[in-house]
Amino acid sequence: MTPTAKQKHTRPREAGREGVFDRELADLPQELRWREWMGRIEAVLFASAKPVRRDDLARVVGQEASVEMLIEDIQAELEGRPYDLSEVAGGWMFRTKTQFAEAIKAAADFGDQSMAFTEMEMGVLCAIAFHQPIDRAGLKEIFGKEVSRDLLARLRFKDLIASGPRAPRPGAPHTFVTTATFLTMFDLQTLRDLPKLDLAVGNADEEIQPTQN
Amino acid sequence: MTYQPAAIDDDLNILPKLPAWVTSGRAETLETVAFRSGTALTVLDQLVTDPRHGVPVKLLANQMALKAATATSKLEGRLAREADIRDAYHLTPPGEARGPDGDLLAFWRNAARLKLTGRDWHDSVQGLVGTAFADDVSRLMAVGADCAKSHGPLAGCIAVMRAVLEVDDRVERIASLLSDIVLAQALGWKVVLPVTAQHLTKTMLRDLIGDGQGVDLVVQQRILQSIEGTIRLARDLATRAAALRAVTPKLRAKGSKAAADLFLSEDAIGPSMMLSPTIQGTTIAMTDRAARRFCDRLVELGVACELTGRPTFRLYGVVP
Repeated sequence: MTPTAKQKHTRPREAGREGVFDRELADLPQELRWREWMGRIEAVLFASAKPVRRDDLARVVGQEASVEMLIEDIQAELEGRPYDLSEVAGGWMFRTKTQFAEAIKAAADFGDQSMAFTEMEMGVLCAIAFHQPIDRAGLKEIFGKEVSRDLLARLRFKDLIASGPRAPRPGAPHTFVTTATFLTMFDLQTLRDLPKLDLAVGNADEEIQPTQN
Repeated sequence: MTYQPAAIDDDLNILPKLPAWVTSGRAETLETVAFRSGTALTVLDQLVTDPRHGVPVKLLANQMALKAATATSKLEGRLAREADIRDAYHLTPPGEARGPDGDLLAFWRNAARLKLTGRDWHDSVQGLVGTAFADDVSRLMAVGADCAKSHGPLAGCIAVMRAVLEVDDRVERIASLLSDIVLAQALGWKVVLPVTAQHLTKTMLRDLIGDGQGVDLVVQQRILQSIEGTIRLARDLATRAAALRAVTPKLRAKGSKAAADLFLSEDAIGPSMMLSPTIQGTTIAMTDRAARRFCDRLVELGVACELTGRPTFRLYGVVP
C-alpha cells in the first residue's frame, strides 16, 4: 500500500474520534484556546493522585500544542502557591511544598496511607534500591539475618517494591525491584539520582549532579 | 550427507570481509577514520542487507542490543554485567517488573526492532526515548542527519550525540540510540543496529560537551572499532547459522523447525520459558522435557551452547 493510500484510510477514523471529545477547540480564538488547554491539563493533574505521563496529557490538548509549554505557563501561575507542579518519574503531578509538611501532618489524619518507616524497613528499602534485583537470600547476606516476609509485604503494600525477575537459585525465589511510586516518593527522576555509594572503585569522579533537569 | 558441508564452505568463501589494510594498524587522523569507516560500513552493509550471505539479522541485532545494554549500564554507572542483564530480562515472568537492568535490555531490544520505514517511525522513536525528549527528537535527528550529509555518517553520529548530551548529559542511552538511527538512515537500513555505545566511556561523553581536545577523533575511532567488531560477529553468526540450518533436517522432534528458527532470531533461549508450553511466536506445543532435550541435542550436535554454566535456569544460544 502506498503512503498516500494509508493516509486516506487513517484520516476518517481519526476525525470520528475527535468528534467525541474536542481536542483542537478550533472555534475558539487563540488566547482562549490556550487557557482552556491549560485548564484541562491542570484539571487532569489535580484529579490524579499519581504522576500523569506526557502522552496522557497530550490527549486532552490539540495535536500541535506543546505540553511542555502549557505546563510552563501553569507553573508560572503557581508562583507563590503552597503547591507546585513537578516532574517525577516520567510524568507530572501536583505536590505540596516541603515547608508545609509539618502543617499537613498536624492537621490531617493519614490513617493507612501513612508513610512512616521503621529503621529496618528503610534499611531494606535502601538495600533493594541499590542492589535490585535482589531476593531474600541476598538481603540476608547484607543484613546478616533473615528479612521477614511481613516487612517485605508491607513495603509491597505501599507499592514501593514489586516482584522482579526470578533469581536463578533453587526454588526460583522472585527478586525485588523498586517501583515508579518509589521514585515519586523520594523525589527521584531515575535510579541514578540515588546518592552514590562509595563501593565502585574508580568511579568516584562520576559524582551525581543533585540538580534536576 | 556429505554434500552439505561443502555447500557451507562455499558460502563462507563469498562472505564479504574486511581487507587487511583496514584492520592492520590504527586510524590516526579523521581522514583515515573516514576512509576506513567507509570500507567497513560497505562490508557491514553487504552482510546485513544481502540475504544471500545468510546473516541472521534479527539474531545479530539482539546480540548487539545485549552488548549495547552492557555498555550503557557502565555509562550510567550501574555497572551490571552482561550475564546479570541477560538474566534480569529472560527470567522475569510475564507481567512482572524487570528492574533497571532488564528494562535497559528491553530498551535496546526495542531499539533493534524499530522500523525506519513508514510515516510513523518518528512516533515509535518518541515512544522509546520517553516523555522528556519526545518533543526534541525530530530536531535532534535533523542535526545528526544534516551533519551526516555534509561530513559523513560518523560525524553525524557525533553531532547528534553532542546535541542530545547538551540538552541532558545523563541520557547516554538516548544519545547512543539516536546516533545508531542516524547511522542506519545514512546507510539506508530499515533496521537499527546498536553499534554506537559499545566502546564509549563516560569521559569521552563528558568531553563531547566540554572542550575535550580531539574527542571527535577518539569517539569516531571507537565507533569504527565497534563496526569492525560487528562485521566479525555477523560473519561468525552467518557460519553458525549455516551450521544450524544444516543440522535442522536431522532433528526429528516435533516443532524442530520452528524451534531452530527461534534460535536464529534470539540470542538466549530458556527452554522452559520460550519453547514450552508453545514455541514462542507459534502455536506449536512442546513439553518442558521435549524443550530441554531439544536444546541438549543442539549442544550435542555442536551448533548451540549453554550460556550460563548453571545446572538450572539454563539459557541456550548459538553464540557462546
